[in-house]
Amino acid sequence: MVNHAQAAYPNECCGAMIGSIDGESKTVVRAVALDNVSFGSQRARYELRPEDLLRADREARQRNLDLIGIYHSHPDCGAYFSETDLKNSCPWYSFVVLSIQNGAFDHANSWLPDADQTKAEKEELTWPES
Amino acid sequence: MARILIPTPLRQYAEKQDSVELPGGTVGEVLGALTAKYPDLKKHLYNDEGKLRSFVNVYLNDEDIRYMKKEATPAAPSDTLSIVPSIAGGSTHGR
Repeated sequence: MVNHAQAAYPNECCGAMIGSIDGESKTVVRAVALDNVSFGSQRARYELRPEDLLRADREARQRNLDLIGIYHSHPDCGAYFSETDLKNSCPWYSFVVLSIQNGAFDHANSWLPDADQTKAEKEELTWPES
Repeated sequence: MARILIPTPLRQYAEKQDSVELPGGTVGEVLGALTAKYPDLKKHLYNDEGKLRSFVNVYLNDEDIRYMKKEATPAAPSDTLSIVPSIAGGSTHGR
């Protein structure tokens, strides 16, 4: 996800997170880079093709894994869940946002929008050092 | 009996199943059978007016039903329905 986000800089990238769920804990084992098909400048916008997400879900099922979330990057700003993110998200999945500052990964947060898409709860996010 | 694939986060409302087979001659009928069997799914798929929520796309095999006959699209026993959300966003920093 970090490599994808840095390669896409200064544009936003997006992709699917495939992994497993154990109770409240979700583990990403594979990130699937998807096209950002947002029309116009992609420096502050992203959009996924639903067909691509369908393919990612099928890939997950074939591997006996689950589609557990979506990731995207915020170039040169924080890893917050913006109003645009909230209004255009889907309240089913975890959303990891990666902050890319001057082309390099800075920090990331994971968010879970509520059913009414009025707010997003911050989830604990951990990842291996290497 | 068409097959419906249940998205991971919604399986908690469908007895943790990843897919279910349900009767119905159209996509709308199969979806109706789904929410009749699992009422907790309804609010996640439909708005208060009883229409599919704006971010919910339904695919019959590889085709988006919006480009077919929407919920009146015929569904055969060999068909697979997928529920796929529309997702977009962005930092909203004006540039």
